[in-house]
Amino acid sequence: MEEKILSPISFIEVLNRSLTGPAASEREFDYKVGTKLRELVKKYDIKYDPENPIPSDDSLADDVFKAAVEFYADVGAYCMDTERRITFTEEEIKEGIKNAPCTTLFGEGNEAKIFSARKLESKDPPWCHVGAGISVSSEELLVKLVEAFASIPETDSISVPTLMEVNGVPIRTPPLEVYGSIRMIALAHEAMKRAGRPGLPILNLVSTAASQIAGIAATAPQFGIKPTDGWLVDAFPDLKIYNDVLTKAAYLLNWGANIGACFTPLIGGYSGGPEGTAIMSVAYSINGVMVLKSRYQLYYVSNIINGSSSSRDALWTLSVSAQAISRNIKVPVIHLSYQAADSATEMLFYEMVAAMLACVASGVSVESNHPSKAAITDHIIPMESEFYCKVAHAVVDMKRSEANELVKTLLPKYEKDLSNPPKGKKYQECYDVKTGKPKEEYLKFYKVMVKKITDLGIPIE
Amino acid sequence: MKILSSKEEILTKIREDLFNYDAEGIKVDVEKALNMGLSALEIINVLSDCMREIGDKFARLELFLTDLMMAGDVMKVALEILLPKIPKEKISTKGKIVIGTVKGDIHDIGKNIVSAMLTASGFEVYDIGKDVSASKFLEEAEKVKADIIGASALMTTTMPALKDLIDYIKAKNLRNKYKIIIGGGPVTKEYAEEIGADAYAENAVEAIKVIENLIKK
Repeated sequence: MEEKILSPISFIEVLNRSLTGPAASEREFDYKVGTKLRELVKKYDIKYDPENPIPSDDSLADDVFKAAVEFYADVGAYCMDTERRITFTEEEIKEGIKNAPCTTLFGEGNEAKIFSARKLESKDPPWCHVGAGISVSSEELLVKLVEAFASIPETDSISVPTLMEVNGVPIRTPPLEVYGSIRMIALAHEAMKRAGRPGLPILNLVSTAASQIAGIAATAPQFGIKPTDGWLVDAFPDLKIYNDVLTKAAYLLNWGANIGACFTPLIGGYSGGPEGTAIMSVAYSINGVMVLKSRYQLYYVSNIINGSSSSRDALWTLSVSAQAISRNIKVPVIHLSYQAADSATEMLFYEMVAAMLACVASGVSVESNHPSKAAITDHIIPMESEFYCKVAHAVVDMKRSEANELVKTLLPKYEKDLSNPPKGKKYQECYDVKTGKPKEEYLKFYKVMVKKITDLGIPIE
Repeated sequence: MKILSSKEEILTKIREDLFNYDAEGIKVDVEKALNMGLSALEIINVLSDCMREIGDKFARLELFLTDLMMAGDVMKVALEILLPKIPKEKISTKGKIVIGTVKGDIHDIGKNIVSAMLTASGFEVYDIGKDVSASKFLEEAEKVKADIIGASALMTTTMPALKDLIDYIKAKNLRNKYKIIIGGGPVTKEYAEEIGADAYAENAVEAIKVIENLIKK
């Protein structure tokens, strides 16, 4: 039989479908998401196994992928402004996935590097996206942090923290966000120069701009943005898209920018439990390909009750969805794990290692740690980001079964405290702000933690 | 073997309707129960227990947001039949709460969960959606004679709108009239204290407990 050749779905066609797709209220869409996922979990017999947070079952990963294709073909994405579903046929989805970019070039000069889709249990180190969209209290601290992130040898790209103020004025409205974003970009570039790595790409543009219009405004080339940076474009839970997000995507696509599809699968939300959320995570990835035309993706699975990515069910969901994406979609993907524990706590280290094992063995790349679910200003410690990268490199080539056993030894060390995690310290308590060097007390704590993790069988340099 | 009376049987059937999210079934069975002589209040009590059970199951993630929504919808169908049969003075809820996401913030899933769980717990909930101005919060609270205002923000950039809301209510000299609870990703207990909120909750499960305590104060 002759294979039918489909032309790729253009972004203009996506926009057209956002106007002409099946009409639905938001509530109807939410119901459709919940009920369809329930049906597919049953149909494909997908079962969460709390005893094995990192499963080694390829057929499970493939079933989750098949369910996600079926789900996305039936339900699609939802445009909040037009109240229409944006839908695609299974043939269109398969063709879109086949043509999705499996590599993207980021960075300039010495830092130019290809970010490739990873394979399961791969020997290739993951792409280390380092930093945090966490808020910082001063411009001085932002520079210190980015300089430290850029100085980590494993760093492949930078996630710039969010400025809270510009000239002492809190950044609250889109016009202030424009000022804040331009300042943030300038400071980040200065910091990367200080680290001797001016060509490193920034992949979280533009974290200080909450509004899409400010995000667009700050990306004019005069402000130092490079085509080899990356812009995050969000789909909201679950699979909802606003016109201003589509506007930002339209602008970015027209000048060939690297769009990073950003999404947050929530266990306990409309997608249901870990099984439905694993399918939803893969559907989001498909949505990144079909609607947002992404060249990379960044997602974070979290549990809606404790808010972290470290719980047993979140690790399973992350691992299974990552495996499904790695085996079947093959786009460059980063997983960002939210830790419940604060910076400079023992629990944070256990959560970080568990996340790393799940990500690396399951075929995705990584973004460095986000303590206290990235909620507390100035609570980010560069040595902990470096630790994250070192673990990421130390666990390459590890079998999923081996990673699973290690995670099973880590979980009892912290899971009972996920709902009431320990409070830690902010940057200023652990580092000398002037020199940007860690204090003796913190170094002592860090060394103890590295020893504890090394003793578990993870060889960290 | 225990033989169920026909009244017990119909109440069991109503419970099943709610747990199966069967709106048509509950309509029929509630009418049947009323015809059998059960009082509207008796039936509401059974339904309230079920909703509490559903809320508890959500807290343990044995049920999910869609379950809360579907159960809430079926409960609404039952209440449409039952409430008109109860004299106004006998109708009591745990309290009235106006809930929304602050101006500039369109992230609402956390707020939706709190809203669904509050409904499940027996509160009268007025969910005014997302990207809501301070004046709209107050206008709605005044209109429905609310006891509590609940506001959420998910982003560090929209979090200050929580302070704007409290400042606005203060400026209108109505701060003492309402208890205000806040929450959302970047919000902390310390921030709640700093801006003068009455309470803070880290997640939906905690929010219900905190609001129940607030009402008692």
